[in-house]
Amino acid sequence: MDTICAVASAAGGGRRAVIRLSGPAAATIVAAACPGVELSARGLACVEFHDGVGTQPVLLLWMPAPRSYTGEDVAELHLLGSPPLVRAALGRLVALGARPARGGEFTRRAFENGRLDLTRAEGVAELIAARSREERRAATALLSGGLGGRVARLRDALVDLRALTEASLDFDEGATGEIPTGALAARARELMAAIEEARAWEARRVPASGLARVTLVGAPNAGKSSLFNALTGGGGGLPALVSPQGGTTRDVKSATWLAGGAEVELFDTAGEEPARGEAESLAQERRRRQVEGADLVLGVVDAVCPRRVAGADLLAWNKLDLPGAAPPPEGPPPVVGTSARTGLGLEELGAAVARALATRSSGLSRSLGARHLAALEAAGSRLETALAGLEAGETLDLFAEGLREVTDALDGISGLTTPEDLLDRIFAHFCLGK
Amino acid sequence: MAGVSASSHPHPPPASGPQRDADVLVIGGGHAGIEAAAAAARLGARVVLVSFELDRIGEMSCNPAIGGLGKGQLVREIDALGGLMGVAADRTGIQFRMLGTGKGAAARAPRCQSDRHRYRETVTALLAAQEGVELVAGEALGLVLEEGAGGTAVAGVRLAGGRVLRAPATILTTGTFLRAVMHTGEQQARGGRIGERSSEGLAGDVARLELALGRLKTGTPPRLERGSIDYARLEEQAGDSCPRPFSYTTERRGFPRLPQVPCHLTWTNPTTHAIIRENVHLSPMYAGRIQGVGPRYCPSVEDKIVRFADRERHQVFLEPEGLESEVVYAGGVSTSLPARVQEAFVHTIEGLERARFLRHGYAVEYDFVQPSQLAPTLAVRAVPGLFLAGQINGTSGYEEAAGQGLIAGANAALWVLDREPFLLGRHEAFLGVMVDDLIVTNPSEPYRMFTSRAEYRLLLRSDNADRRLVGRGAALGLVPKERAEAVARKEETIAAVIATLDSIRPEPSRSLRDILRRPEVGLAQLEERYPALAAHGLDEELREAVEIEVKYAGYIERQAENVRRLERQERTEIPPELDYGGLVGLASEARERLERLRPRTLGAASRIAGVRPPDVALLAVHVERLRRQRARSE
Repeated sequence: MDTICAVASAAGGGRRAVIRLSGPAAATIVAAACPGVELSARGLACVEFHDGVGTQPVLLLWMPAPRSYTGEDVAELHLLGSPPLVRAALGRLVALGARPARGGEFTRRAFENGRLDLTRAEGVAELIAARSREERRAATALLSGGLGGRVARLRDALVDLRALTEASLDFDEGATGEIPTGALAARARELMAAIEEARAWEARRVPASGLARVTLVGAPNAGKSSLFNALTGGGGGLPALVSPQGGTTRDVKSATWLAGGAEVELFDTAGEEPARGEAESLAQERRRRQVEGADLVLGVVDAVCPRRVAGADLLAWNKLDLPGAAPPPEGPPPVVGTSARTGLGLEELGAAVARALATRSSGLSRSLGARHLAALEAAGSRLETALAGLEAGETLDLFAEGLREVTDALDGISGLTTPEDLLDRIFAHFCLGK
Repeated sequence: MAGVSASSHPHPPPASGPQRDADVLVIGGGHAGIEAAAAAARLGARVVLVSFELDRIGEMSCNPAIGGLGKGQLVREIDALGGLMGVAADRTGIQFRMLGTGKGAAARAPRCQSDRHRYRETVTALLAAQEGVELVAGEALGLVLEEGAGGTAVAGVRLAGGRVLRAPATILTTGTFLRAVMHTGEQQARGGRIGERSSEGLAGDVARLELALGRLKTGTPPRLERGSIDYARLEEQAGDSCPRPFSYTTERRGFPRLPQVPCHLTWTNPTTHAIIRENVHLSPMYAGRIQGVGPRYCPSVEDKIVRFADRERHQVFLEPEGLESEVVYAGGVSTSLPARVQEAFVHTIEGLERARFLRHGYAVEYDFVQPSQLAPTLAVRAVPGLFLAGQINGTSGYEEAAGQGLIAGANAALWVLDREPFLLGRHEAFLGVMVDDLIVTNPSEPYRMFTSRAEYRLLLRSDNADRRLVGRGAALGLVPKERAEAVARKEETIAAVIATLDSIRPEPSRSLRDILRRPEVGLAQLEERYPALAAHGLDEELREAVEIEVKYAGYIERQAENVRRLERQERTEIPPELDYGGLVGLASEARERLERLRPRTLGAASRIAGVRPPDVALLAVHVERLRRQRARSE
C-alpha cells in the first residue's frame, strides 16, 4: 500500500494549511523530514520541517494505526498557509516517497479499513445508488447530444480493429488469410483521426474554466446584454454592445459572475428569432450550440411586452423599473423580478441561480464532460503510442495490448468504467465523514 | 477459516467413512480423467480410475495434435504443475512447430502432430507408473447417492457386474456421454454406450441431481487412407528445423525421439462448393435435426460455404495420424453430410481425387452441465462429493480438458485430505482464466482457449509458465522440489544477465538494456560483441526469457499494476446466501444475472455481462455491511 499525502485544508490562502500523510511509510517519511522527532505515541508536537530549501515551524499531529482517520499511520502537518511553503513541504514529502493522493482517497481508505461506522457505510451505499441513477441520467443526456454517436462509432471501429488484430494472434493464417501490418496501421490512423474529431467536438462543449455554464436566452431586445453587463460588470473587457435596436448581439460573449457566492461562467447570446441574413444564421447556430452545452439556461423576459422563452430553467422578469411592466408571474420555472438598469433583484437572481445549479445534476454533467475529454485524450495518446510501436516493428501482441488500453479509456465515456474508478470518484466528490 | 467461503471448498471435508475403496474416483480415461487421477495421486490421495476400455485411455478422439495457439500455453501450464500431457506429447510428437513466432511472446505457442497410437500407449504407461493410481476396467452404470446434511451427496459409483466403488470424491470426466447423438446425413445413432437409453444409468443419475444442462454439438472431418492420396500434387508443410519441446523436463538431447514427418495442404474449389451447396439441405444442421450450438471457431465445411459464400477456397490440412498409420485426418472439412456427398466433394479436391474413406465425418450433439453450478475447485456446489472436468463442462479440446482435470483432481484430493483448495487467478494462468470464464459465464458454444480471453495475456506466456507455476506446484506437492530449485536458479541467471546489461554503457546515455529494447535488436547480437554477456553462457530458453523481460518491461509493469489495483475486488467474497432481491438500487438486469450466476467474488461479479460498475459498487458496500453486522453479532 502506498503512502499518500495531500493538502487537507481548504484551497487558497488560509492562515494555516494542513497537510495529511497516511500509509505505512508515514513514520519514516516524517522522521526524515523532521530530524529528531519522536513518533512513538499519539500526540502533538512542535517540530522543524526541512522542506529541502529551508526549515519551517510545523505543528505535527501523529496518529498511529489503527486509531486514525484512515486506520493507517497518519501524520497531520499544520503549517503557515503560504502557498510556496505548502508546495515546498508537499514536494519534500513526495521526494521522500509519498504519492499525491487522488481525490477522496483518504476517505476511501477509511472505508476499507473499517474506520467508517455502519451508518456512514450505509450513507455510502445510498450515495452510490443515487449517484448511479443521477449519472445514468446525466450520461444519457450528454451522450444523446452528439458525443454519444461519435463514441459509438469510435467503439465500433475500435472493436473491428481489435478483432482483426486478435484474429491474427489467435488463428493460423491458413484460417484468417493474411492480415498485413499495413492494413492494421491504416485503420489505426483512421481511428486516431476520429478520436481527435470527437475530442475537438467535446472540447468546444466543455468549458476550459471548469465553471458551471449559465446561458442567457430570450427574445431580441429583452435586455439580455444589459443584464449580462450588470451582472458581470461587462466581463472585464469591453461591455457587451447594447442598443435599443434588437439583434445587436451577434457573437456569444462570456464572463465570470459571482452568483450567490458560486462562480459561474455567464454567456450572452443572440436573441431568438428566425435568421434574416447569413451572419445572423451563424449567430443563431452559435446560440443553439451554446444552449445545448449549458448547465443552466436563464431566460430573460421583457416585462413590458412579455414573450415566452422555451427551455429556460429559470426566468429573469426584466425591465421591472419601466412603467407598464407586468408583475412577475408564478413559476415554474422559478421567476425572479429584475431590472438591469437599477440593479433590482440581481442579488436574488444570483441566489436563485446558485440554488438551481446545486439541485440539478449540471455539476455532474460538467465533471462528466471533463472526464470525457480526459478519456478521449488518453485514448488518442495510447493509440498513437501503439501505432508508433507497430510501425517501428514491435510485435503484434504489444499492439493488441495498446488497443486494449484504448478500449479501457473509451469505456470511461460510455459509463463502462470499473467499479474501482467509480468508488474513487464517489469518494472524490463527496466528503464522507472527517 | 470458519464456515464455507469462496476461497475454500464449497463443502465441509468428508467424514472418515466406514469403508472406502479410494479417496478419489475418476470416471473416464480421457485427457481430463488422466490429469485428474495423476494430480490427485501426486498429492497423496489413493485414486481409482474407471475406464470402459483400458486400452483406450488417452485416446485422441479428434485430430492427432497437441497444443497450438492458446492451447500450447495450457499444455505448458499443465506441465509446470507436474501434469502428463506435455511429457507424453514430447515423446510421441512426429512434427513440432512453434506457432505465432512473428507475432510476439504472448502469441507464441508450441504445437505438435502426435502419433495417435503411441500417445495413447505413452500416457497410459505414465499414468500406470504413478504411485497411488489404480486403473479399473469397467462400465460405470450409476452413482451411489446418499442423503446427508448437505443434500444429496455422491459417495461412489456402481459398475456393470454389480461391483460398487465407494469414495468421498468422484470426478466425472465422461466427455459427451450425456444424451449424445451422432449424425451422418439422415442417419442418427445414439452415442455413448450401446444399448443404454439416455434416461438410464449414469446419465440418469446425473439427471436426478437436477443440474441445469445445455446442448452443444461438435463435428469431425473424414479420415482418409494415406496410400490413396496423391501427395505429389500437394503443398508440403514441414515442422520446425529446430523443434522445441512442450515440457520443461524434456531433455533437449535426443529430442525429438521419433522421426519427423510433414503435413500437407490442399484447398477446396468452386466445384467442391457447388456440391456442398446443392446438398446442404441433407446436412442435419440445416435440416433442423441438430439443435446444439457448434463452435464458431471450428465450423463445419457446410457452415463455411453457406456463411462465407464469397470465399473461393478453404484450406484442407492433411495430418498424418502416426508414423506407421494409414489414417490421415482431413482437418478443415468437418462435415455431417451423407456419406456419398462427403465422398463426392472430397474427390473434387486436388490430390484427393481418388482418396479412400476410412471413416466418414460426423457430428455429435450432446448435453453439458452448465458450469456456473461449479465452484472454482470444479466441485458441483449443490452436490457434495461430485467434481466435473472436461467436455462435460462445455469445453472442447484435449488441452482444455486436461487442464480442468488437473484442477479438479488436485482439489478433490485437497478436499478429501482437508487441505486448502488450489485456485489460480486470471492473472496467474490460462487455467485460472478458463475456470473463471466457465463459472462466470456459461459457454454458449464449445469453450476453447484463445489468448484474447486473457486480459493479462502479456503476463501469461508459454515461455514463463514454469516461472509462474512451478513454485506453487512444489509448495503444494504437485511438483518435485527440485523443479522449483531449478526455476529459482533460472530467475537468478535472468537477474544476473539484466544486471550485466545495465552495467555496460556503450554510450553515456544508454545502457545495453536500453539498446536491447529496440525491436530490431536481439540478445544474441549483443552477446557476440560483449564477452561479459557471453560469459553467462545462455541457452535459447534463457536468452528468450531475458529478451522478453527487457522488451516487454513497460507493458508487463502496467499489467501487474492493474492486477494489484483489482486485487481487493478479486479477494472480496460475496456470501453465497446473499439476497439480491433486498438490495435497493440494483439495476433489474444486474439483479437477474447475479441471482442466476451467484458470483463468488466482486471481481467475478464485475465480469458478468449486464452487471454495471455502479451495481458492483453497491454490492461492495452491501457485502461490507453484512461483514460488519456478522462481526458484531459474533
